[in-house]
Order: sequence, then C-alpha cells, then structure tokens
Amino acid sequence: MSNEVDEIMKRIQSYKGVVGTIVVTSEGIPIKTTLDNTTTVQYAGLVSHLADKARSVVRDLDPTNDLTFLRVKSKKHEIMVAPDKDFKIITVQYPAE
Amino acid sequence: MSDRKAELEKKKARLQAIREEKERRRREKEQKDAEEAALRTSHVDKDQHKEIDEMLSSLGVAPVSDVLSSLSSLTSGATDNLSSLATTDNSLPSNAVTSQTTNLKRKTPILSVVNVQTTCIPPKETVVYTKQTQTTQTSNERDDEYNLNPGLEWEDEFTVLTYDDVQAEDEENSLPTLAGFQSKLPPGILPHGLPQVKEVQPACTSLETSEIKKEEPAPMRELSEEEKMMIVLSKDFQNFMDRSGRIMERALSENIDIYTDYTGISNNDEKSEDKSGTRLSLNRVFHDEKWSRNRYVTSLDWSPQFPELMVASYHQNYESPHEPDGVCLLWNTKFKKNTPEYIFHCQSAVLSATFARFHPNYILGGTYSGQIVLWDNRVQKRTPVQRTPLSATAHTHPVYCLNVVGTQNAHNLISVSTDGRLCSWSLDMLSQPQETLELQHKQAKPIAVTSFAFPYNDVNNFVLGSEEGTVYSACRHGNKAGVLDMYEGHHAPITGINTHMVQTGISFSHLFLTSSFDWTIKLWNMKETKPLYSFDYNGDTVMDVAWSPVHPAVFAAVDIQGKLDVWDLNTDTEIPIVSTQIEGGVAINQVSWTPSGTHITVGDEVGKIWLYDVGEQIAHPRHDEASKLMHTLQEFKNNQTDEEIDKSASFNSGPSSLSSLTSR
Repeated sequence: MSNEVDEIMKRIQSYKGVVGTIVVTSEGIPIKTTLDNTTTVQYAGLVSHLADKARSVVRDLDPTNDLTFLRVKSKKHEIMVAPDKDFKIITVQYPAE
Repeated sequence: MSDRKAELEKKKARLQAIREEKERRRREKEQKDAEEAALRTSHVDKDQHKEIDEMLSSLGVAPVSDVLSSLSSLTSGATDNLSSLATTDNSLPSNAVTSQTTNLKRKTPILSVVNVQTTCIPPKETVVYTKQTQTTQTSNERDDEYNLNPGLEWEDEFTVLTYDDVQAEDEENSLPTLAGFQSKLPPGILPHGLPQVKEVQPACTSLETSEIKKEEPAPMRELSEEEKMMIVLSKDFQNFMDRSGRIMERALSENIDIYTDYTGISNNDEKSEDKSGTRLSLNRVFHDEKWSRNRYVTSLDWSPQFPELMVASYHQNYESPHEPDGVCLLWNTKFKKNTPEYIFHCQSAVLSATFARFHPNYILGGTYSGQIVLWDNRVQKRTPVQRTPLSATAHTHPVYCLNVVGTQNAHNLISVSTDGRLCSWSLDMLSQPQETLELQHKQAKPIAVTSFAFPYNDVNNFVLGSEEGTVYSACRHGNKAGVLDMYEGHHAPITGINTHMVQTGISFSHLFLTSSFDWTIKLWNMKETKPLYSFDYNGDTVMDVAWSPVHPAVFAAVDIQGKLDVWDLNTDTEIPIVSTQIEGGVAINQVSWTPSGTHITVGDEVGKIWLYDVGEQIAHPRHDEASKLMHTLQEFKNNQTDEEIDKSASFNSGPSSLSSLTSR
C-alpha cells in the first residue's frame, strides 16, 4: 500500500514544472516530501499555517462551509494546498510557460 | 462597666497621644525635609523630591531625605544605624540619629557626589501606582521603596551596596566601606548592578523566552520514521492520498494562463485556425508508461453518467510477464491530467470492457480466460471485487463481446465467447448466468464470435461477426432463440461491427457496418442478406468501424496501418472525407466516438489512445442529413439492382459479362 502512496507522489512530481510535493499532518509536521529538509520544514510550517488561517476564514464567514483547495500564485511559483481532515498535500510548481 | 469605660477612655487617650506624637514627628520631618530640599536644590529637583516625599510619607515610609541621610551616614561610617533607617517605623532615637547624620552631612557637603545626580531618572507617577499594586503583598519595605519610585533606583542601589559592603566587612573585615565602594566602582558596578538588572530584565525575558520556547518546539517536533510509516500505512492516509492526489493532479494540469492580456499583441493566431471544416486535429494522447505501454487496446467505452469518462481495456504486455495480464484504465477527457483516473487489473487479459450502464461505479471486463470480472471504483482496490466462475455453465473461451442491455429496472449483462456461447447475467449474481444460449447456425458447428452489436433500443435482436467472415443476426428470446439469418459478403474474419445509433425522424436502426481482414468495410441492411455497399478504399486490414452518434451519415474506420478515416455517405461514398495517420506507424485496433460526437478516440497496438477533435461539419450535422442519407441508400439499392441485372445477364451470356464488367 505504501508504494501506492509513493506512486501518487511520483505521479504528481512528474508533472511539468512541479518543484516538490510535501504531505503534512494537520499540525504541519511533514510525513512525505520530495524536497530537501530545510525547505520542507519551512514550507510545511508556513504553508500549513496559511492553510489553517484560510480555512478559519472560510469557516468564520459561513460555518457550514469549508476550505477545499488553496492556490497561491506568485511571481516565481505557485503553491497549491489540498487540505483534508487530518493531512494536507502541498505542491509547489513553476507556472506553465 | 465603669472600669471598662475608664479603660476605653484610657486607650483613647493613648491613641490620641500616639497620633499627636506621629503628627508631631511628621511635621518635624517635613520641616527637616524642606530644609534638606532647600539645601539640595542645586543637585536635585526640588519638586521631584517633594513629590516623592509626600508619597512616601503618605505611605508611612521614610522620606527620601532619610535615605539620603543614611547615605551620608554611610560616608561617616555610621553603619550601625542603617538597618533601622531602612525601616518605615522610625523610632525616635533613630530619627534623632538621622538628624544627627544630616547635621553631619551638612558639615561635609563635599560628599554630595555629582555624578550620582546624573543617574537619577525622573519618575512617572502612573508607573508608580501600578508598581505599588503589584507589590503590596510583599512585606519587604526596601522592595516597596524601590518599586514605589524608580527614581530611587540610585539610592536603592546604594542600600544594596552598603548591605553588601556590610556583609563584606563582616566576612572579610577589610577595606573601609567608602574606599571599598569607590575602588570597586569601576569593576564592581557590574556585579553589583547585575542583580538589579537581572531583577528587571529576566522578569520579562523569562516570560518572552518561555513563550518562544512554547512556540518553537511545535514545528521543530519531527516524526520518527516509525511514526511516519504508521501514518503512511493507515487507512485514513491512504484514502486521503488517493483523493487529494487526484485533486492535485487535476489542479496541476489546469494550466490556463489567467493573466492573458488581450490588449497586448497576440501572436498565436493560428489557434483559431479552421475548426469549421471537416478537419481532424489531434487533441491529446492517453498513455501510461507503466500500465498501458506495449499493450494493445482491446476496447473502448464511455460512461453514460459521466460523458468525460472513458474506460479502455488493454491486452497483455509480453515484455513484462510479472505485471498483471489484463489492465483496464479509466481516462478522463475533461481534465488535462495525463494519468488515468483509475487503474484496474486482473490476472487474465481483458478483451472487452464496459461501464455497467445503470451502476455508475461498476466497470465490467470480459477476459481471455472466459471470466467476467467486475471492478468497483469506490473500493480502494485495483483487483476485481467480483468475478464469474470458470465453469462449464459459463464461459470457458475468450469473451470479446460484452454489453449491458435493458432498462434501469430490467437489464442484463450479455456476454459472448468465441465458442459461440451467449450468457446473460444479472449484476447482482455473477456466480452463474441467468441463461445461456449456444449460437450455432442450423445445428452446424458453433460460431466463433469476434464482435457483436445490438441495434438501438433493442434488447432481443443483435448481429454477430464471426471468424469465418460471415455475419449473423440472432435473438435472445422467442420460440426461435438463437441464430436467425446469415449475411455473407466478407471473405475473412470480421474485426468490427457497429449498428446505426443516431435517432432522427427516419429510423436507420436496421443499418450496420462491418469491417474485416479482407480490407473492406461493408454496409448492411438487416433485412437483406447481401451488403448494401462495400467500401473498398482501404489498402489493408480494417480493424474497426463506428457510426457517429450524432451525424446519421458519418462513420469512422481504422486500419492496421494506423490510418483513421472518416466517411460521410452524403458527401462521398468512394473516398473518406477526411483521414489522418497516427504517429509511429502502428496499427489501430479500436475506434470510438465520444457520446457528444465531437471527438473520436482510437486505440493503437502499443497502448496509446489518441483523441481527435472533429470538424464542425461532422460534429454538428445539418437537419437534412437524414433525408439525404435516404437518397444515398436509395442510390445504393439502385446500383445493387443494376449489378444484379448485370450479373444475371452475364450469367446468361458469357461475353456480355465482360462488357458488364467494363461498363462498371
């Protein structure tokens, strides 16, 4: 089963422009990553905070609502977060040319 | 009673006396302070001291001057009185001493250290009050004094110093205090000053650091490898990865440039190139390196519920014998992601796959072994959730034909194997077929069925293509269940058969097309045993044919050379209106239209599925196409009768047959 997880990670990684993928727990602790340690810790901490905040914004606006996807576009790259109850998957990619 | 009264009276008198005494003392002090202040105006701000004094006196604390005097007394070496001076409840003798010391001090004004005055920090009253409330519980007067007024810092420091010095003297009995103090000042100011600094700074830094400590450990906590493995192996995590991975892939492939600026100069004009015509343009290729490479595509089917979903079955990959023989992939044409939506596999090569029309989650596959397998996309499992038995009651030969027919409430899965056995199944019970039927023509040998098709909205009658090249029609029920008619025309195995599906005012459901190894495509009418027309255009084996689901006169055909032809009977019956060649020069096995009729998908022999956009003219037929087709069919019929006449003529007279041939 665990190689299925790896397969999914590999598949995501194989997309054009993808820099890295990190899977973190709800507390922002990385479980799986394709990036180096420092970058992973940095992204995991910062992005999961952002995602938590985004979720609380969505929920505060409408308690029956919930965050499903977070996409941050910047000049240099794009950060995508697919949050779930217990885990989050973070993907960083360079925008398609 | 009178005694007690007297006693009370006495006590009152005493109290009065004490009060008077206090009052007197205070006045005395004030007077003295005023004097002191007058003396020190040159050094210290008078108002400031007054303020302090007032404050102190109101609290019953020795005023500043007292402390100051204590300092001066220190200089005179009167260390004994210091402890008493620090206390608030000044006794009369001590007061006397202070007055003495002040007198002493007055005599020696040289000692008024100038740089001391510079350390004095102007007090802020607000601060004072808050500090007081904070420290009321502490019984330590010195602390009170200190906390009361930061302006007293200097004096306080001094008291501390003197205390220390006293201790030092007690312990070491060395240097005189003043000398010691002065000599120690440059290096000693730090160690002595430190406790005070620590008193203030740690108070906040410790708080801060503790907060920082609280924040920091959380992100720093790292999971051990074991913990990670535990999470990775958990069901929740698997589900999450499956779901979110899919979403992430879709998001990744959605690379539309939302920053398009139309005010700028656009240099991609060719994009809007003629879509209107009949052109075939390659949209995309579905391919999976691991699962579909080197496997030839055996069938294609579209989901009735989700028109963007396509199921493709693949044959065995002979290059990797350790991989499962049979693979079934679910592709999504809506999202641009290039990986399959679902992957299914089984032990035997899948020859035909279909969506279980009324169960959106089921996918059915007919295998080489004869088993029919059922996959469920709700289950986190790639292997079949159900399979039919390999027994004499069911199929024991390869199943190339699989279809679900019927209605929501009454539908069956129909499967035909190459030994000519037809089985109909209920999806609820795959352990044994509901009914079986041996397909054989006139009690001869069984028909080796390679393909079959049901006419539109028919659950009973169907047409079969066989390995011998003969086409049969058959029915499932009725008193003559089994093969009904035989259509002869092809001279080699039939590769594909397709019935007309477009619903217009005129019904064409009796029409069907066949493709064959004899390089031809034939158009048939179910009511006639001879073909209506034969398309002899192809230069190699034709692998499959498919009617357009929207255009009544259009069909697509693929051949073993990798050519895809689209025919429009109303435009031309001799050559296709458009054809294209897939890259790589490999054979195409399967052809299928999307339910909308706007795309054609073809499956080749190396595991790739090519999706083509079809032109406007093909995708959106005009209203008169059906009636035009009627004319075309009439023409075919006329030609047929002409041919028959010619043939009969040639049969009658040999030479005329030659002339008839040339006339053709």
